[in-house]
Amino acid sequence: MFQLMRNIHLGIALTVIVMAMIFAASTIFFMYRAWLPDEVTETERSVQVAAGAAATPRELALELIRNHGLKGEVLGIAETDDGYTFRMFRPGTEHSVGYSRVTGAATIKSKQWQIGQTLMQLHTAHGFWHESITATLWSAFSLLTSFGLLLLGASGIYLWFVNRAERLVGGILLTVGLSYGLITLILTRLDS
Amino acid sequence: MSKRAVLKWMKKLHTYAGLLTFTAFVVWGVIGVAGAFAPGPGNYQPPDISSVQDTPLTAPANLDDKALARYVFDNIYIPLRGGHYNIRRDESGNLAFYVFTASGRRDVTYLEDQGISRMEIRQNSIIGFLSTMHTAFSRRGPTTRAARLWGFYNEFAAWAFFFMTVSGIYLWLDTRPGMRWAQLIAASSLGFSVVLWLATR
Repeated sequence: MFQLMRNIHLGIALTVIVMAMIFAASTIFFMYRAWLPDEVTETERSVQVAAGAAATPRELALELIRNHGLKGEVLGIAETDDGYTFRMFRPGTEHSVGYSRVTGAATIKSKQWQIGQTLMQLHTAHGFWHESITATLWSAFSLLTSFGLLLLGASGIYLWFVNRAERLVGGILLTVGLSYGLITLILTRLDS
Repeated sequence: MSKRAVLKWMKKLHTYAGLLTFTAFVVWGVIGVAGAFAPGPGNYQPPDISSVQDTPLTAPANLDDKALARYVFDNIYIPLRGGHYNIRRDESGNLAFYVFTASGRRDVTYLEDQGISRMEIRQNSIIGFLSTMHTAFSRRGPTTRAARLWGFYNEFAAWAFFFMTVSGIYLWLDTRPGMRWAQLIAASSLGFSVVLWLATR
């Protein structure tokens, strides 16, 4: 049983190791980002688009993907007085697109984040409402990793418990961690 | 230190780190699973109003709306609050804004003619609360003592988690490097991630 559980622990860990590292690195970036490089490169350009290729926001998005090198999931479509706006997002890059039916011009404001912010965006890319297959796959990977964390915790507790030599020290650490974590969480909830 | 001693201590520290931060692990895991099934943008529904609190408050008469909202925000007690957002006038002409807290949204309305600040409390679920708390760390915003102590624990747990990923790889490579199925899983996971990253970029 011990050997089986040890293999399960290893197998789960190796399955989720990359996303787990993304979670860990992005969390550390999030906590210390005031001290870490976090520059955003912003650019703006305007392109003329034939009216037929921009009748709807989705048609324009397709035109921008096919002929102007943009990539990403289309989000936040909104009508304006003379056209519409939307965003095209993928982790690390966001384009804010505004189209005017009067001038036939699409203004594209792009933001390009560095690796820390990109990892944070992957960390928070959950949910199965995305239209983009890559975003959905990241979400699935993230979900799998979250399940993995729970299973690693459970199997880790088993592996510790069967090692009699570590029961006392481990028991104290587990009790301290559980008590501290739960008490501070409960008090915080009661405070608010 | 001999290789054997390094392995022994790596095993111990890997185990100790996991035991000490088990609570954070469970919180993160639960939040990650719940987050996967959270509503997408535009579909979020705030919780119902669970209670209403009135606070007597007389603000200076020479403030514009933004400054008045700030004054009200600064002079009413809202534990674990973030910033104040969406400053506007409601249907009755009263100044209103939202405040987000770890325990949910607070809808604040300043009833100027009555000298009352009214706060509608929309207490969130435990999952919503834990979702906010899983982002806490030691230096994050004005907060209560208990929340700050949780922040220290959560921050420590993040480092412990990072250590466990690295020490876990070390333990695998040091004790069972030739295990074929493990190599296959690691290669598949890495390969999948690289392909997904390239497709994303």
